[in-house]
Amino acid sequence: MKLYEYQAKNVFKEAGITIPNSVLIDKQDELSSALPIVGLPCVIKSQVLSGGRGKAGLISFVKTEESAISEINRLFNHKLNIKKFLIEEAVDFKQEVYVSITVDPYEATALLIVSVEGGIDIETLAVTQPEKIIKESIDMRYGLMSHQANHIAYSLNLPNEVAKEMRKLFLKLYSVFVKYDAELVEINPLFITQNNKLIAGDGKLMIDDNSMHRQVVFERNQSDYTNEAEYEASIEGIPFIQFDGDIGLMCAGAGLTTTVYDIIHYEGGTVANYLEFGGPNYKKALKSMEICLKVPSKVILIVTFGTIARADVMAEGIVDAIKRLKPDRPIVTCIRGTNEIEATKILIEAGLEPIFDTEEAVRKAVLLAKEAS
Amino acid sequence: MSIFIDKNTLVCVQGITGKEGSFWTKHMIEMGTQVVCGVTPGKEGQLIEGKPVYNSVKKAIENHKVEASMLFVPPRLTMDAVMEALDAGIKKIVTIADGIPLHEMVLIRQAAKEHNAIVVGGNTSGVISPELAMMGSFPYWIDRVYKKGNIGVMTRSGSLTNEVTAMIVEAGYGVSTLIGVGGDPVPGTRFAEFLPMYQEDSETAAIVLIGELGGSMEEEVAEAVQNGTFTKPIVAFLGGKTAPKGQKMGHAGAIITGGKGSVEDKIKALTEVGALVAERPRFVGKLLEQLAVPKL
Repeated sequence: MKLYEYQAKNVFKEAGITIPNSVLIDKQDELSSALPIVGLPCVIKSQVLSGGRGKAGLISFVKTEESAISEINRLFNHKLNIKKFLIEEAVDFKQEVYVSITVDPYEATALLIVSVEGGIDIETLAVTQPEKIIKESIDMRYGLMSHQANHIAYSLNLPNEVAKEMRKLFLKLYSVFVKYDAELVEINPLFITQNNKLIAGDGKLMIDDNSMHRQVVFERNQSDYTNEAEYEASIEGIPFIQFDGDIGLMCAGAGLTTTVYDIIHYEGGTVANYLEFGGPNYKKALKSMEICLKVPSKVILIVTFGTIARADVMAEGIVDAIKRLKPDRPIVTCIRGTNEIEATKILIEAGLEPIFDTEEAVRKAVLLAKEAS
Repeated sequence: MSIFIDKNTLVCVQGITGKEGSFWTKHMIEMGTQVVCGVTPGKEGQLIEGKPVYNSVKKAIENHKVEASMLFVPPRLTMDAVMEALDAGIKKIVTIADGIPLHEMVLIRQAAKEHNAIVVGGNTSGVISPELAMMGSFPYWIDRVYKKGNIGVMTRSGSLTNEVTAMIVEAGYGVSTLIGVGGDPVPGTRFAEFLPMYQEDSETAAIVLIGELGGSMEEEVAEAVQNGTFTKPIVAFLGGKTAPKGQKMGHAGAIITGGKGSVEDKIKALTEVGALVAERPRFVGKLLEQLAVPKL
């Protein structure tokens, strides 16, 4: 789960990391009460989960109240339907630093990544000047040791006063990484102010989805999702992405779903949604179809080849879902794997025409989608 | 031959009394796997499929020679169960659990390395040497997929593995050992770490690699070929070529980040060292023929 900037910053603050003075607003008229608190100039930051907000025009630096009002009007009416904005003081800084902690799957450690050339696209820097990025492995059994934080902080060629603060920041950030079961915790930019203080200019915190049971603090509500289908899928723990094509995917198995997605494109089709109801979700055919039917698609394509996820159980679920939901569009099924003979029988008895080959099923779906256009 | 597991490997099942545990233990035994005992705390004295159940792995190894442990343990208890097996000196561990917390998976891999042990998984169907033995949850009776042969299969996926392996068999080949390393961002053991075993196995003539976008495991395989660790033919199928960037699509580990992990990058790395990459599962068999891999 990816947190919004304001949520990540609240976590940082709680851990003792300084964040800029700010007010979160979700109504246009709250701007007038926010401005006296943060002062001018200030930054209006759209709270969206996608990256590249600056380039997308979702962050505005404003110097006057008039421009603040006009910008907030523009952003509240943005086509992305943004719900929350962080009104933040403009920090006067002399340098920007990049800091993050993530896991290193190869070494099986945590990894602290620092660059004193922060602020910019770190991915570009990694390609063009990799020597400017410092990496330190952290043995997760012992955590980030003070001496490690010390060593990195004093290796950055910063004034001693700043290095001392930096060392503390690394330790605080690692405590966040552990406490929140983070996949990634990142501050970019981390400002070094004129009087050598550190302030987190941005905040990124991604919590491991497999650890959500012990991270209940950040429940989402419907307004955090772009549509109902996305919200319902998330509640059910069903991986779901909506696109704007024709074929609704309802497959089991992450790798297989991705492959079917590829083959649809090779065959000249387009995808309306990605939905994967495999693994622990294989009994959720009814809910999955309900979600798929909320997406404007021309055909629903169901492809499975399960092991633990039994084909007969999925076939029964699909037949039940069709009976109850009476879908308004054709359904193509290709269900194989454990108990596939029983599954085929169930589908035929329900009047479906099961296909046994993935590519054939994809071609049929592409054809039906074209016919419906 | 085969790697990791054959018909003589002595297997303990942790979580043997659970629903999945007892169901798959039955199938493992029916297939020919040497399951010698099981472990479920508090259930000592019971028999599952005629095999004695113990309260702890330590107790089990006092009574049986055990070479490998198969875990049917919920994800939140998996780290503890793996550590228990490692502490008992077991060097081969398979966990199928889907949902192991990321930080715990890091600790599991770290501990496995320190114990010089191999942990396969989580989020996998396990390991199978068709017609010999399996540790995991494979419908081995589907013989258009699980047929014995000379192709080593390594995969990050479950259903996609069935899809691709069916095509290998359709082309007239079979499988020596199939290893599901799992779909999590931090698998216990990575693709390239199995290559030395496949290299040594006289009955593995070639490898089929079933990968996908995200991570760097496919590139590590290319490196192993580059540095001469692995010299047998490789055919790969990689899912997610048309996947949108920055979206988690597929497994948790399947995301393009930091400009790395795209299928294009992986294809480039693999083809540069002479591996062939199939655009569709159906083409895998043809590419094996193209590399002159013999059929048994």
